[in-house]
Amino acid sequence: MDTFFGLLAGNTLTRLVFFPALAAIPLLFLVKASAKTAKIYVLIASLVELAFGIFYLATHLGADGSFALVHDAPLTWIASYGIKYDLAMDGISMPLVLLGIFLVPIVILGSWKGIHDHWPLFGVSLLLLTTGVLGALLAYDLFVFYVFWEVMLVPMYLLIGIWGGERKIYAAVKFFLYTMAGSLLMLIAILWMAWTFQKLNGGVWSFAYADMLRLNLPEHQQIWLFAAFALTFAIKVPMFPVHTWLPDAHVEAPTGGSVILAGILLKLGTYGFLRFALPLFPHASVVARPLLLALAVIGIIYGALVAWVQVDMKKLVAYSSIAHLGFVMLGLLAADIVAWQGSLLQMVNHGLSTGALFLLVGMLYDRRHTKKFDEFGGLAKVMPVFAFFLVFASLASVGLPALNGFVGEFMILTGSFRILGWPVAVATFGVVLAALYLLKMIQLTIWGPITKEENKKLSDLSFREVAALVPLCVLMLWIGVAPNAFLQPSRQALVDVLAQYKQRIEEPDVREASLRPPPTEVAVVAAKATEAGR
Amino acid sequence: MSHHFNWMLLLPELVLTAGGVVILLLEAIAISLRRSFTVLAVLVTLGAGYAAYYVTPLHHVLTGRDATFNGLIETSPVTLAFTLVVLLATVISLLASQSYLRREGILAGEYHALLLWCAVGLLLMLRATELLTVFLALETLSLSLYCLAAFHRRISISSEAAIKYFLMGAFVSAFALYGIALIYGGTGSTHFEGIGHALAAQPFTNVLASLGFLMLIAAFGFKMSIAPFHAWSPDAYQGAPSPFVAFLSVAPKVASALVLYRLLDAIVQGGTAPNAYKWSTVVAILSVASMVVGNFLAVVQRDIKRMLAYSGVAHMGYLLLALVVMDRASLMPVLVYLLAYVLMNAGAFTVVSLLYSWPGEQHLISDLGGWGYRYPLLGACLAVCMLSLGGIPPTLGFFGKYVVFLNAVGDGREGLAVTGVLVSLVGVFYYLRVVYYLYMKPETRQPEGLLIDVWGRAAAVLAALGTLALGLWPTGLLHWLIAATAVK
Repeated sequence: MDTFFGLLAGNTLTRLVFFPALAAIPLLFLVKASAKTAKIYVLIASLVELAFGIFYLATHLGADGSFALVHDAPLTWIASYGIKYDLAMDGISMPLVLLGIFLVPIVILGSWKGIHDHWPLFGVSLLLLTTGVLGALLAYDLFVFYVFWEVMLVPMYLLIGIWGGERKIYAAVKFFLYTMAGSLLMLIAILWMAWTFQKLNGGVWSFAYADMLRLNLPEHQQIWLFAAFALTFAIKVPMFPVHTWLPDAHVEAPTGGSVILAGILLKLGTYGFLRFALPLFPHASVVARPLLLALAVIGIIYGALVAWVQVDMKKLVAYSSIAHLGFVMLGLLAADIVAWQGSLLQMVNHGLSTGALFLLVGMLYDRRHTKKFDEFGGLAKVMPVFAFFLVFASLASVGLPALNGFVGEFMILTGSFRILGWPVAVATFGVVLAALYLLKMIQLTIWGPITKEENKKLSDLSFREVAALVPLCVLMLWIGVAPNAFLQPSRQALVDVLAQYKQRIEEPDVREASLRPPPTEVAVVAAKATEAGR
Repeated sequence: MSHHFNWMLLLPELVLTAGGVVILLLEAIAISLRRSFTVLAVLVTLGAGYAAYYVTPLHHVLTGRDATFNGLIETSPVTLAFTLVVLLATVISLLASQSYLRREGILAGEYHALLLWCAVGLLLMLRATELLTVFLALETLSLSLYCLAAFHRRISISSEAAIKYFLMGAFVSAFALYGIALIYGGTGSTHFEGIGHALAAQPFTNVLASLGFLMLIAAFGFKMSIAPFHAWSPDAYQGAPSPFVAFLSVAPKVASALVLYRLLDAIVQGGTAPNAYKWSTVVAILSVASMVVGNFLAVVQRDIKRMLAYSGVAHMGYLLLALVVMDRASLMPVLVYLLAYVLMNAGAFTVVSLLYSWPGEQHLISDLGGWGYRYPLLGACLAVCMLSLGGIPPTLGFFGKYVVFLNAVGDGREGLAVTGVLVSLVGVFYYLRVVYYLYMKPETRQPEGLLIDVWGRAAAVLAALGTLALGLWPTGLLHWLIAATAVK
């Protein structure tokens, strides 16, 4: 089992991460194949991946619905620097990984008609992107994490740049450079940490996440490192004022690209805060909290206000993402278990509802080749099924009780209000604004009289399009009605991380960098803290 | 120091020289064999590589060093590593040449012979332990390079490039010679070791020798196209035959980097600490200047060969970042970076030589529009090389940057490392431009007069696959290089 290929053959995380990349290899030699062959091949590959994902979940989910940390056997990758290929899944990464795997077949169904050229390359990009995203979510070694983090960029760059709209190249390059700007600084931070670890550890190198957690750094060092990590993740989230790449990327990307971008890629930013930036640099995160809090609240209000005045449906949904992820950041900054659970759930919720909205906008665009509000109106009369799904997804996004968005936002706001106070009250206005802009979208597109002649002949959604939307809507309803099944797997992992994070915030600042005892002892301490916390 | 003349140790150079002579003779007596000169020259190069491996005393790794000609030429695992990198560049360039020479109707044995003799000069240069021998090797190299730069003699831009290169190169040779003379005047030795000992014995700052060092740094900075000695490279690259540029843009830099290292090493061995620190500051300034000048000038280029010339200046800046830490441990990052640079840059020029006819014209990046679909294999190879030049994982280009930046961070030079990554962001911008022309722009040009043969494809695939494979599995390479550079 202890070889890469051994791992690949078993029911492991390695298989989940690398199956899409392997599936992409035959496509590389089918560059000239027909679009239909490629479509069916990629769809089957993504469904197999989904089956692997569900099977993995089924075999590892505890009887009480909890999900414990599972490691693949770590393999030595670059021995000279102690870099280990180490993948692990816990309750925090599990929902995001499954969301990612779940969205890929839907994206393919949603792109069936919208993508005309170069289907094999589209499939390759999509599959490699899946590998990159899953790898970044599962990496337990900072070097491996960084590699996967960068690997994601190229396929996404191709998705936007090849199949995008008019200003596709501008958007693609902007996306690439923004993301790269942050991550290069993060690379230096990672190198610095590994070097420091090696110096304190008697010359033995490691990039392992568990080892980096052992670094006990003085606050003035933490601040620089935190700044590098936080900038990287803030660009990805994206937080105000480094969000400007997002509207461009979303508007120019093809439907499938937008769904992936909103559904999974943005989550890596918030995931990065939760997994790396906060636990690794507790003191610095406390120092930076007021700033990040202000940016999160500005993001919520600003995103919502800008979304409100858009005349383009896709831009509206894109700006709404900024607002929604502002809520997620708010919850993370609160460092409260309810808020954290809400944030994690809201990451999934946003992937589902915004993903559905992007798909719907794309379906409309496939028919009319425009996304402007003033071109539509009264569509409910000619496209009742479309209207149903649009209203459903919008209400989920607004946060209507009994749908998923409500649970997440409610938990974030209640959880963080106790800790953060009045900024949360300001942020709550964001919920009202969300209702304003989404209802505006519904009103202008599907209600009212049909004003344009072209709209009278529009066909309603096809079976394929319904098949792409139904799974999303089922999950939205399911999470809304029975959120506990979705909260339970992550609970223990969040409690553990939070306990350790809080404990470290309490610790006094040190004057020089030192190493904490190895993780086995730390785990005992953390477990005790958890006991006390209950 | 061994006082004997062990000709065996010169086997790699002898193989290359003889190979060149044989090809020249065949050109005279068996002209019908011309088409097979490429294969022959590649075989000779591989043979030289094996000879280099064969004569290096690897079995006693810790003292694995041997010398000949009264210690003027040495052989060690380090020189072996550099030798193999140079020969790799030679192989890629030779493979790429065939289609170019046939397309332009200038296929002749002189080309292959001269390229092999360039390699001879380089091998001698990186194995020389004494400055005059370095100079002789440098001249052997340079003369062959000038001839090759002018090889497409019916095209005026090629001759122009060669004249520019020759005039500046001749001037630089004089610089190098004068530098050597000054160092000899200041220290009484031209041996790297002797210079180090002499400096160590002198309690004062040796002005004469310092001036000599500066002149030598300028001379090798010219060969490596480090800013501000880089001005020749865009013109020379643009005019010279593209497959030869695949060699010119990488191989001389490899050997010069080792000479530069030896020079700095001599200073550190001899110098007092503040003295060494001063020199490391000089290197740091050159490094930052190269990174900034190279990257910012490359952004505005529309011609892919000029763009790669300026990007080469930037890459030498990253390489110097490793040399700023004047320590034997920095040889490993230097080697990894050079290997990465050879693969990705030679690969890029290989594809350029295959996809652009009309060597006298400009090689506009925009002419590649949409060709990623017309030539899937070459397009993918070029894209991989570009991403590697941009330092995107999982390519060797990323790993090279990783070791270089780690070396700088470990030496407490975070500021330099941060400067390096920030300017490399500029680099990503212009490398991406090539990728988006390949895949995201409509075709603007019909291919005409192209000749893409199997050897050219093999060179491109070798470079691209090497970049990817070593980027994914650098373990073995790294292990070997660390062992090789640990030998004192």
